[in-house]
Amino acid sequence: MSEPTYRAEVLVCSGTSCTASGSLSVLEALRKEVARQGLEDEVRVAETGCRGFCAMGPVVIIYPKGILYCQVQASDVEEIVEETLVKGRVVEWLTYEEPSTHEKVPFYEDIPFYGKQRRIVLRNCGLIDPENIEEYIARGGYEALGKVLSSMTPEEVIDEVKSSGLRGRGGAGFLTGLKWEFAQKASGDVKYVVCNADEGDPGAFMDRSVLEGDPHSVLEGMAIAAYAIGAHEGYIYCRAEYPLAIRRLNIAIKQAEEYGLLGEGILGTDFDLTIRIKEGAGAFVCGEETALIASIEGKRGEPRPRPPFPAVSGLWGKPTNNNNVKSYANVPQIIVNGAEWFSSIGTERSPGTAIFALTGKVRNTGLVEVPMGITLGEIIFDIGGGVPDGKQFKAVQTGGPLGGCLPASGLNLKVDFDSLKQAGAVMGSGGMIVVDEDTCMVELSKFFLTFSVAESCGKCVPCRVGGRRMLEILTRITEGKGKMEDLDTLEEIAEGMASNSLCALGQLTPGPVMSALRYFRDEFEAHILEKRCPAGVCPDLVRAPCVNACPAGVDVPSYVSLVSQGKYAEALEIHRKRNPFALVCGRVCPAFCENRCRRGTLDEPVAIRHIKRFMADHEIKEPWTPPQLEPDKDEKVAVIGAGPAGLTAALRLAQWGYEVTVHEALPVAGGMMAVGIPEYRLPRDILQIEIDNIKRAGVEIVLNSELGKDFTLDDLLEDQGYNAVVLAVGAHVSRSLRIPGEDLEGVWGGTEFLKDVALGNAPDVEGKSVAVVGGGNSAIDAARTAIRLGASDVHLVYRRRREDMPAEDLEIKEAQEEGLQLHLLTNPTRILGDEKVEAMEVVEQELGEFDDSARRRPYPKEGSEYVMPVDVVITAIGQGVDVGCVEKGCGIEFERNTTVKVGKVGSERGALRTTRDDVFAAGDAVLGPATVVEAVAQGNKVALEVDKYLQNGLALPKDDWLAYDDIPLTWEMEDYGEAKRAEMPMQKASARRHNWEEIELGFSETTCREECKRCLRCDLEGA
Amino acid sequence: MPRLKSLEDLRALRAEVLEETKIQRETNTLIIVGMGTCGIAAGARETMRAILRELEARDIEAHVKTVGCIGMCAKEPLVDIRQGDEPRITYGYLTAEKVPHLIEEHLIKGNVVEEWVVGKLRDA
Repeated sequence: MSEPTYRAEVLVCSGTSCTASGSLSVLEALRKEVARQGLEDEVRVAETGCRGFCAMGPVVIIYPKGILYCQVQASDVEEIVEETLVKGRVVEWLTYEEPSTHEKVPFYEDIPFYGKQRRIVLRNCGLIDPENIEEYIARGGYEALGKVLSSMTPEEVIDEVKSSGLRGRGGAGFLTGLKWEFAQKASGDVKYVVCNADEGDPGAFMDRSVLEGDPHSVLEGMAIAAYAIGAHEGYIYCRAEYPLAIRRLNIAIKQAEEYGLLGEGILGTDFDLTIRIKEGAGAFVCGEETALIASIEGKRGEPRPRPPFPAVSGLWGKPTNNNNVKSYANVPQIIVNGAEWFSSIGTERSPGTAIFALTGKVRNTGLVEVPMGITLGEIIFDIGGGVPDGKQFKAVQTGGPLGGCLPASGLNLKVDFDSLKQAGAVMGSGGMIVVDEDTCMVELSKFFLTFSVAESCGKCVPCRVGGRRMLEILTRITEGKGKMEDLDTLEEIAEGMASNSLCALGQLTPGPVMSALRYFRDEFEAHILEKRCPAGVCPDLVRAPCVNACPAGVDVPSYVSLVSQGKYAEALEIHRKRNPFALVCGRVCPAFCENRCRRGTLDEPVAIRHIKRFMADHEIKEPWTPPQLEPDKDEKVAVIGAGPAGLTAALRLAQWGYEVTVHEALPVAGGMMAVGIPEYRLPRDILQIEIDNIKRAGVEIVLNSELGKDFTLDDLLEDQGYNAVVLAVGAHVSRSLRIPGEDLEGVWGGTEFLKDVALGNAPDVEGKSVAVVGGGNSAIDAARTAIRLGASDVHLVYRRRREDMPAEDLEIKEAQEEGLQLHLLTNPTRILGDEKVEAMEVVEQELGEFDDSARRRPYPKEGSEYVMPVDVVITAIGQGVDVGCVEKGCGIEFERNTTVKVGKVGSERGALRTTRDDVFAAGDAVLGPATVVEAVAQGNKVALEVDKYLQNGLALPKDDWLAYDDIPLTWEMEDYGEAKRAEMPMQKASARRHNWEEIELGFSETTCREECKRCLRCDLEGA
Repeated sequence: MPRLKSLEDLRALRAEVLEETKIQRETNTLIIVGMGTCGIAAGARETMRAILRELEARDIEAHVKTVGCIGMCAKEPLVDIRQGDEPRITYGYLTAEKVPHLIEEHLIKGNVVEEWVVGKLRDA
């Protein structure tokens, strides 16, 4: 008995939701109406289960056309039957429409991750069911194979692929069409096609994704290649660690064979092709074609010298074409769309797209396919979303363990096979690992080298021995036992490996080390000369990330532990060994330590600065007299500048028994701490306490005594009998905007403005409109000071974006709370007014290429100028040293940026020594505008250098005094696993904009001691 | 499965598949789970099971299919929902425990779960 056949079928959803909204009455009405129109024999009305359109119910579906009506009521039934079932028309107003909440969702092409992508190889990945050949066919699959077999000769196919310019996607970039031609022209009846799916780079997974997501595209490409070169057998060499890829390939091969798209007589022609899968055991060297072929043959996976190339003598000695997964996957698209289409994408010499597995310290990790010629910066910052957690971009490693790394200056590099190679990195198979400031480049290159050394097959000496020797040297360097000669040895071995190794594995193994040396040599040198790992990674050189991050090397975990026990005096003593300004830094330090705090990777960093402040505040009642550590000495030292660097240097030298005099040009001591940092961040009486401490060590401070005006270097060294001078003059000169109108009344340099305010000569800005130019801490300080001076409105004009501002994020936020208005991507062009400032003309900026700070460079947008009416302009775009204060002909030289020229660590001249033997320099004078803690670190260092100089290299050792002590752990760490970072109580924004009181109110004792226990005590690791 | 004997056969099969999927597309709710290795590693299998369980419990006959990796590995597991001929909506970090809420909001109430949505895609 056969089922009666109907012309149409009407299904009414009888799911719970549709029933509730009345589908049964619709069903009833439909049956009646169909009967009334006499359509019962042609139209079947039935119930169906829920299809998931519950929000749009009751739902009615009409086959065979597949019309979906939503929110159907019994009253609509007459129209449905009349229009659709009788007249065959769709009732538009009942059809399904995207719910309005969906409209807000952006399309993929509007999401940055996909916006700049161009998906050719990955066109089907994530869209089709890879285990269903029909979905591949529905998207035009096997059309190219059909076209080739029915209308093209092998030569025509090769010509097409050749003229498309497709280059091998395995990494070497050899012309695919040319390779095919060699195999085609090679003599022999039996030939093979091989697909290299032995993807082994750490961090690369594009081949796997193609095989898992769109296996037929590879099979189709192989079939076209086989037809072109005259092969009837093919192998896919896929590593056994890719079980899902292998499973899906097997399913794909089976389905293709069933459809006659593989096997004998493909698509009714006499072309046969059998494809088999060879599972590799995971040896990295088997990605090299001769080793791969040996492995398929069942031999040991080792490379052999070429020539002969596989195109002439490959698998079992027969001509063999070997291509990468992605090369094959490109081919069907080239055949269908034509060579011209393909070569129109990408660059002239590298047409098409590149696929990168984007991983590491980047927001959107994943697989991206981009047109060749896109810049690295676009990939990392636009598609990848940049570096997360506010960290600084450091480098990008392309090409995996056989590739190389590029620093920020490489971000504008247009990516293709040749450009990357030139820059010292390679395309390789397409791994792209982004690293941030927390990565040690020595350690990273050691990691890759370890991989390559382990994967060396051992057949040739340069690779087997050379790699191992390089690894030994790198290991030594990361342990702080390296020598400068090691760097030359590394280069020498690398050259030998590159030119004498048998295969690409050996030739390219030195790549990561060499590129790291090329771009990050200073990091290698820091490990060797200073025994310091700047990134805080190498365990032998790093006590804890926070200690390592602190420029002065303050022992954070120890004092935090002691504070947790209430031992504030002991804690402070530890702090003062490396930084005498705990009260100051507890208030103004940018806390490099917190930026690297490992707790921050779990939730938020320990509030180290706030803890420090509590500790230091608690001990204010006990005035500190710094201990003298060494016997009195005969030599006298003059320090010029009573800022943090000068005072620290003076303190240390006094503690070691020298007679020290500090000359300060201003009527107050403290340098930028006194006249740069506003009072609301650092009260002057607090600062004075720490200056008095230093005086108690025996340091004499002479105020109003200016170099170049009141005395000269020669006066000190030749007439007054000083044996050495420390130049710590600071950077007090604001950099000029170099625009017209800067000489008008009402224009101030940021540092000069802050200084005048600090010295009681505040300019009158009350009720005035103030514009501050710049995005650093000084700009924010000036702006917040202007607010407190009663300016009617304060505007900050900055040429880049908010996230590019060098100022502390928290301070920008606080300033905004106090009423600061940000004008971003804006830069002044001139200041207008007759005698006084009346307005400032600004121009909008647009962002161009990346600069060395990995930020996009701003450019003026033509015609976008506008005028801001303002009464006062404060320029805070940077500061320099007043070079004029140092007399000419005294032997001191300067760098181009006005900092004092000094010797580097390990150099013959000696660290921090100027071009005059008895004059040393420290602080902003050397660094340019920096932070208090950086200046303190310089003060410590320069004191050591001066001591070394004055004692002719026989200075007493300071090691015992500076040794780190391990403080035992006294709390149960697990109890603080969930503890959240304590918040600093603050003055309300509405109140603080009218006063100069400190805005941070300080922790309570309980809060402080509990916060300490969030510390993970990284210092005890390995102890 | 018929063996394809010519390019014309292939094109006929393609047309047939397209016609079939067109109807399916227009009258069905399709739920797509990214099942590349990256998806599976992030828990796509558990998500898939949770979806099937939820659909069964609610007696919904939606179509569930698996696909490979679409590239946004960082946001796996990825689940897409397509209803009728409208663009498919992609959800990220769609772990198993989020499935009941997703089905409830998107299918039953017709709302996009904004905090999980990644984007939408009009696929051909």
